[in-house]
Amino acid sequence: MTAVRRAAAGLALLLAAACTAPTPPRGQAGTTAGTVCAPPSGVPEAETATTIDVIEQAYFCILGNYYSGPTLDARSLLTAGFLALTQEINRGGRDVPEAIMPALTGDRKADWAAFETAYRKITDQVPDLRDKLAVVTLEGIVAALGDNHAHWAHDFKRPLDYYDGDGYGLGVEANVDVAQANGDTPRVALPPLFVTTVLGGAAKAAGLRPGDVIQSINGTPPFFDGAATPAIAGLYPDYPEARPVELRLLRQATGRRWTVTLRPGPYERDLATLQVVRSKLLDDGIAYVRMTGFAPDSANRVFKAITRLRTGRALAGVVLDLRGNGGGSPVEATRLLSAFVHGKVTAYQCAVDGRCSTSWTDDTVELLHLPLVVLVDQGCASACEHTSAAVKDLRIGRLVGTRTAGVISGPARSYLLANNTLLVFPDRHHLGPGREVIDRIGVPPDHYVPLTAQDAAAGRDPALAKALTLLHE
Amino acid sequence: MRQLLAVAAGLAVLAASACSSPAPPRADAPPATPTGPAALPSPTGPYPVGTTALYLKDASRPDPWNLDADARELKVTLWYPTEQREGQRAPYMTPRESELLLKGSGIASAPYDTLSRTRTNAIQGAEPAGGRFPLVVLSPGFTQPMSTLTSLAEDLASRGYVVAGIDHTYESYATTFPGGRVAECLACDSDTDPGFGTRTVQGRVADVSFVLDQLPSKWDGSALIDRSRIAMAGQAIGGATALAAMVKDPRIRAGIDMDGTTYARIPKTGLAKPFLFMGTKQHITGGPDNSWDRDWKLLTGWKRWLVLTGTEHTSFTDSPLMADALAIKPLPGALPAARAAELTRTYVAAFLHRHLKSQRQPLLDEPSSRYPEVKFCAQS
Repeated sequence: MTAVRRAAAGLALLLAAACTAPTPPRGQAGTTAGTVCAPPSGVPEAETATTIDVIEQAYFCILGNYYSGPTLDARSLLTAGFLALTQEINRGGRDVPEAIMPALTGDRKADWAAFETAYRKITDQVPDLRDKLAVVTLEGIVAALGDNHAHWAHDFKRPLDYYDGDGYGLGVEANVDVAQANGDTPRVALPPLFVTTVLGGAAKAAGLRPGDVIQSINGTPPFFDGAATPAIAGLYPDYPEARPVELRLLRQATGRRWTVTLRPGPYERDLATLQVVRSKLLDDGIAYVRMTGFAPDSANRVFKAITRLRTGRALAGVVLDLRGNGGGSPVEATRLLSAFVHGKVTAYQCAVDGRCSTSWTDDTVELLHLPLVVLVDQGCASACEHTSAAVKDLRIGRLVGTRTAGVISGPARSYLLANNTLLVFPDRHHLGPGREVIDRIGVPPDHYVPLTAQDAAAGRDPALAKALTLLHE
Repeated sequence: MRQLLAVAAGLAVLAASACSSPAPPRADAPPATPTGPAALPSPTGPYPVGTTALYLKDASRPDPWNLDADARELKVTLWYPTEQREGQRAPYMTPRESELLLKGSGIASAPYDTLSRTRTNAIQGAEPAGGRFPLVVLSPGFTQPMSTLTSLAEDLASRGYVVAGIDHTYESYATTFPGGRVAECLACDSDTDPGFGTRTVQGRVADVSFVLDQLPSKWDGSALIDRSRIAMAGQAIGGATALAAMVKDPRIRAGIDMDGTTYARIPKTGLAKPFLFMGTKQHITGGPDNSWDRDWKLLTGWKRWLVLTGTEHTSFTDSPLMADALAIKPLPGALPAARAAELTRTYVAAFLHRHLKSQRQPLLDEPSSRYPEVKFCAQS
């Protein structure tokens, strides 16, 4: 879900489209969903409070539909939920003597009954916490899947003074992105921490610039003994987090050191940069296309852009910039690849018993017959990694940049719960064209070209420069 | 964002009882048979109505959607009071426009030219009446041609307004230019982009201001227009445009948003111009779309927030009137098409009479027993 949050800049616009598998044909829908939970249809009604009945629905929904639902030890889910419950009680500065995990037997229904009995007994002791405890318990159960495409979408809020296109936070992006900072991707963060993009808001008002090195966040260094610290997450507050964040900065070119205090809030972004597909002709006959998400029609937009740049001139190649592309529809990934190769498998989606479905190229898409270099980084997640892995494995083009996010467990499906919240998880896991695991591992670039603080400060793009060199070879 | 024509496809959630209450179950509709072409309801005002189209070109800016067009071309349809009662009724849209609109909306239950056979009331090219009338700019929803607001436009003209309806090129499934060239929906492939609504509305506001600049010189009937009395209304993103244009363009004195999520930043100091929100229950106070709540606090002039029971997103357009012709079965609980059209015409006209003609309008002061569907959702 990290991928989704990033793609929509935390504002859930793409929630419906991003990271989700296409709706199965009607004939299949009934068989996968069973009776416990079904995909949403239309606009959900207003959310209501989460209750033990909703948690029960989610539990059986996971067991009936999740990738490893048929085989997983359901006790691990209940234990994780129970742990979260007790932690939340303790967080309130108290405890409940009866908050003891019941014995579980491995019988999924009987274990649920025992869990529910214990849960009710405990929550009756702390009625003021009831709603909150239900929320943390269900969050704990979903987190226990350890699946980066499993997510419970609930209680989505945004500021009342939010406008379409706005961002929220400090208005800055650094070389360690939000997914790395939150531990949602296993990609290693390297020092120093520096600003890569100033998006607006407090960071813009305070005069931050790309390349500025962030030496501390609220007094804590971003790296300790070479390892990233949790302080980095302070750069990326989510609404309603609004406490000011103090940054100690160094501008290497001038040697200036100073401290700024940035208040998180909604901020206006440049509308032109929010377009999911943007393109330009580089002066040496190369089409540069940047795609920040696999939204509906994205592949067609890329094709249209290239066709337009090609009109009346010969192109030497295409640079497809997928850096920071948080993913989206696997259908769009397959279509995009199909403009470069036909008759190939782009990915497999495999059930826990090892049976796989195959994502073939869509050979109705016209081939472009152009050399291709794809720019990738640790922000390239999900459908973006489906694409990158296929580009590499099928030798469609070369990858330049840094290793992808490794956030591609499998195409997620949504299920509507009784309180009008959505439970999202995959029923199959993704493998690359060589049946290799990409989730967590990521896709390594053919040419490793990281961005340095000096590059950022000087406005250089060494990965793009490398791509152009390759296309001119 | 992409709205479907008519009660079509059953995607919209009905407002069962305004300001709350759950939606009724959806009907499992057996396939119906098209009834033949629709006829728009007669205008209710005293004036016969004339109509004509203008084609304008704004060379000061490139087209926002067609990267190969270095100027923005617009089609403007005018409806106006006339004294001429006889003459040829204007076509509703061309067969090609009908086809593109139905295909774009995923409607295949009737022949593709069906909408082009809709019977309208306005007389093509009629001589404008004498006198001076306030101007109302109309803006349709995303993907929708301007003609989908014809019922409202004709009615306003019959009640003594000049109506200038704008086809925002490439934001509609079909806009026909002289020579038969048809501009299709280039914007349709990017409507899920973050900031799409904001960007689209910014472009539309520029369209509106350009049309206001050009009308006096480009329309030979422009003597009809009292340029000191201009308002704007629109449906969906057209309604959002009404608000945004009112913020930006001092010539626009008042505005109406029919069920459109809004995008414009009203200055924090507030905006004192009169404004009317009218919507479905998706737009109740504190509902799923926060934009009206946000703007309500910044609107410091006369304002009303009405929610209409039994309406869905397209109830404020001609769409319900086309349902029979397209063999689309209305959702259960939906207002009859004629009633939806009557409500839209009545409340839009009441607002304009009040704010452009300074006429007292009790309908806007409190709920009316004649129109029990209309709930006053928020009080200033």
